[in-house]
Amino acid sequence: MQENWRLLDTGCLPAAHNMALDQVILNARSANLVPNTVRYLQFAPHCVLVGYHQSVELEVEEEYCREHGIEINRRITGGGNLYWDESQLGWELYAPKNTPGIPRRLDDMYRLMCESVVAGLEKLGVKAKFRPTNDIEVEGRKISGTGGTEIGDAFLYQGTLLTDFDVDTMINALKLPIKKLEDKQVDSFKQRVTCLKEVLGYLPPMEQIKAALAEGISEVLGITLEPSGLTEVEKKAFKQELPKFQSEDWIRGLRIMPQENDLKVAEHKTPGGLIRVSLRLDRNRQCIKSAFITGDFFAYPERSIMDLEAVLKNSSCMPADVLNTVRQFFITHEVNIPGVDVEDFYHALYLAMDKGW
Amino acid sequence: MQCKKYDIPENLYYDTNDFWIKVNGDEAVVGMTDYGQSNTGDILYLELSSGGETFKQGDRFGSIESGKWVGNLTAPLSGLVIDNNNEVERNPRKVNADAYGEGWMYRLKLSNPDEVKSLMAAKEYSEWVAQQINSEEEIG
Repeated sequence: MQENWRLLDTGCLPAAHNMALDQVILNARSANLVPNTVRYLQFAPHCVLVGYHQSVELEVEEEYCREHGIEINRRITGGGNLYWDESQLGWELYAPKNTPGIPRRLDDMYRLMCESVVAGLEKLGVKAKFRPTNDIEVEGRKISGTGGTEIGDAFLYQGTLLTDFDVDTMINALKLPIKKLEDKQVDSFKQRVTCLKEVLGYLPPMEQIKAALAEGISEVLGITLEPSGLTEVEKKAFKQELPKFQSEDWIRGLRIMPQENDLKVAEHKTPGGLIRVSLRLDRNRQCIKSAFITGDFFAYPERSIMDLEAVLKNSSCMPADVLNTVRQFFITHEVNIPGVDVEDFYHALYLAMDKGW
Repeated sequence: MQCKKYDIPENLYYDTNDFWIKVNGDEAVVGMTDYGQSNTGDILYLELSSGGETFKQGDRFGSIESGKWVGNLTAPLSGLVIDNNNEVERNPRKVNADAYGEGWMYRLKLSNPDEVKSLMAAKEYSEWVAQQINSEEEIG
């Protein structure tokens, strides 16, 4: 017999409300007060969320957000800065870490969780797939990013689903590795993400999207979802927790360690064309936070540059490690770029990393 | 001692949250094991509690982030934080690179040294790690 999970749809809420509910539901699941749960969430007004350990100052264009009524808040989960408008759908799973069938090893768990959403997207006619470490993509373009956390023995795994997306507002609201770039390169950046409306040519009604995801999650996890609401315990805890998530102490982060988010841009000319590299670096942590690579070379397969960016994200920025990462990538992905070799890519990255050391 | 490819030094104690504990009288140094750091992956952020804070065994005393996952650091023993490793907070990759050396996290003054009896010796931890690896392989 399949296990019953609760299906919770909390509708459109302000950022602090949604963040408080994440905490409340995870606490309740950890204390065994509520069943395993799938939650849908949406945001109104639109907002920017930073990851649990991130610095608002380094990740968010605060003035732009203030001028455009974009709320700012902090997730309890990991990962990077995100822009949420009213049209995006959030999905979340809450369960104990020792749930039968759910891998304990994080990489395996990410794959299973993402594949349950991939199965849901397939019901809508979207051929999506899991992209390590924990994204969902359609033909190399990201449609859902994910992240998670744990309290006691319970975990929360959550993701976004881009349905109809305002890329320009996202670019303006977040500190991304594309500031200072020309319009053509910004257009290329926009090709890194996609949304349901673009993939399908129309936007299905939200209820249809939610039903499809629920079906996919149920099938892959082998569960039955039963629609239900918040319990009285959760409602009471929510009232108690909300002020914390509305406070500047939470939003700014009381214990955020010193970090960096330096934008470094470089170009390297090769026989196959120009390579332009734009990196966000945190040199304290020896980390490439994000990478954006364009140029007038021709890469086969075409998506390989987007895959390389995904591999470089959050990887070490120590030169020997970068060379190793790029070499391994070219071998495992069978990349062919006429007139451009591994060392050229390494050199372009090195030029960007070397600036200001 | 080794379990598969993971180092498990014999002079340390261990718990099931993948912490190693080096006990010296009523003080202990604490960090994440080789198996723990490998399971966690590249560590991007660490948030450690400050010196002067006290914790009970099993309390959350910090957080760790890798691959967009925020995990808890759980106190392996009760006590007072005498010192934390600021260097590893600034550059958490040191836990991946040198889990038993530069990757140490806390120095604790133990409030209940008897709790050490609840920890595992290297051999016992090695068996526990082997079990975990087997169950991961079964789930696939």
